[in-house]
Amino acid sequence: MNFDCAFAVRIVPLVLQGVGNTILVTILSFVGATVFGFVWEMLRRSHPLMHPATQFIIDAIRSTPLLVQIYFLFFVLPCYGVTLPALFVGVFGLSFYFSGYLSEVFKAGIDAVPAGQGEAAQSLGLSRRDTVVFVIAPQMLRNIAAPLGAYSISILKSTPLLAVIAVPEMQGSAFDVASDTYRYAEPMFVTEILFLILALIAVAFVTGLERRLGLSTPSH
Amino acid sequence: MLLADRMSFFEIMRQIYQGFGVTAMVTLLGILYAIPFALLAGVLQHFSTGFYRGVITAVIEFWRSSPVIVLLYAFYYALPAFGIYLSAIAVGAMVLGLNIGRYGSQSVRAALQALNRGQCEAGLALGLSRFDVLRFVELPQAIAAMIPTFINQAIQLIKGTSLVSLITLTDMTLRAKEIAETRYDPVGIYSGLLLAYLIICYPVTIWGRHLERSLGKGRRPHEF
Repeated sequence: MNFDCAFAVRIVPLVLQGVGNTILVTILSFVGATVFGFVWEMLRRSHPLMHPATQFIIDAIRSTPLLVQIYFLFFVLPCYGVTLPALFVGVFGLSFYFSGYLSEVFKAGIDAVPAGQGEAAQSLGLSRRDTVVFVIAPQMLRNIAAPLGAYSISILKSTPLLAVIAVPEMQGSAFDVASDTYRYAEPMFVTEILFLILALIAVAFVTGLERRLGLSTPSH
Repeated sequence: MLLADRMSFFEIMRQIYQGFGVTAMVTLLGILYAIPFALLAGVLQHFSTGFYRGVITAVIEFWRSSPVIVLLYAFYYALPAFGIYLSAIAVGAMVLGLNIGRYGSQSVRAALQALNRGQCEAGLALGLSRFDVLRFVELPQAIAAMIPTFINQAIQLIKGTSLVSLITLTDMTLRAKEIAETRYDPVGIYSGLLLAYLIICYPVTIWGRHLERSLGKGRRPHEF
């Protein structure tokens, strides 16, 4: 079987049908992972007894493959009566997996804010909530911007895994083309090129966003 | 006799671990790709300038920007069309290894850049050649600083091997899927699969963090 360039070019629009879902899943999962990750980190800090328990959950999330976690959610949830569309299962799986990593990002981001900042705010009479919202959080944001950007790219690069649970994203579209035409080489090759382009655009977008928000250079 | 038909959890675990050989083999072969690629690409990127640096950066950037699963499919299905026939295990080990190796290359480069210039100058002043300085002075220090990162990346590699189940290799993940085809017990089988990976990776995670703490300067890897 030879590589048919004309066929490869012809199927580009077919594979691209999935690009909308790829982007949608990336954005939803990024938001989900950020929220879960922040919750893990807050739980870990909430009480000394919560620390080892939360730490174990985070380590367990990071010690099992994303593919296995997605299979688990996809096949086990229905046994307990939870039937969700594949896309939501995928988004939940990605959010859950990356929350383990993002919790560490939040931890490092908060730890990197000098302790004197919080103490100074307290001694100026700010409430605990105001201290967190107006003093700690803005400085944490600056610390976490770069790693958050990097993980958003990682999430984008993990979305093709969702093809295994039939989420109609780009890799899934490629398999649709392949099973319609019995030709696998071209769809897989085209998908690789398209993902490469998509990832490069995403990297440029994230870097541009960080620069525009003035977050690219840490203050210390 | 429905109950007798259900396998015990222990039996499920035993059957899942029948795929351990393939998981271990892909991991070990992957490491054989990852370490030379990481060292070579990191050192070359550190020293090259101009056009050559562009070429090296493009190779690293290719492995960094492509999703590993898409690469796996592309190499597995598209290489035969170009007349290159590789076994699934060869493709799996190469793609996963080089993908992890590219993360390693960035830690190698960062570790080399972080070294004090005086180290190199002292080596040259003692009459060592530039290559000997790299071999005997710079790399040993850089590698020591990178060990926690390498361990983190080894975990990523072990977890990544679950993907080879998608290119027909009977690793632990595919074993679980095979069991799931004959027995209806998703809860037991997929919990068992999670546990099977957890048993392998959790101790490594803990060990890696312990080393990172004791060295105090492990860089956090950005994940696949």
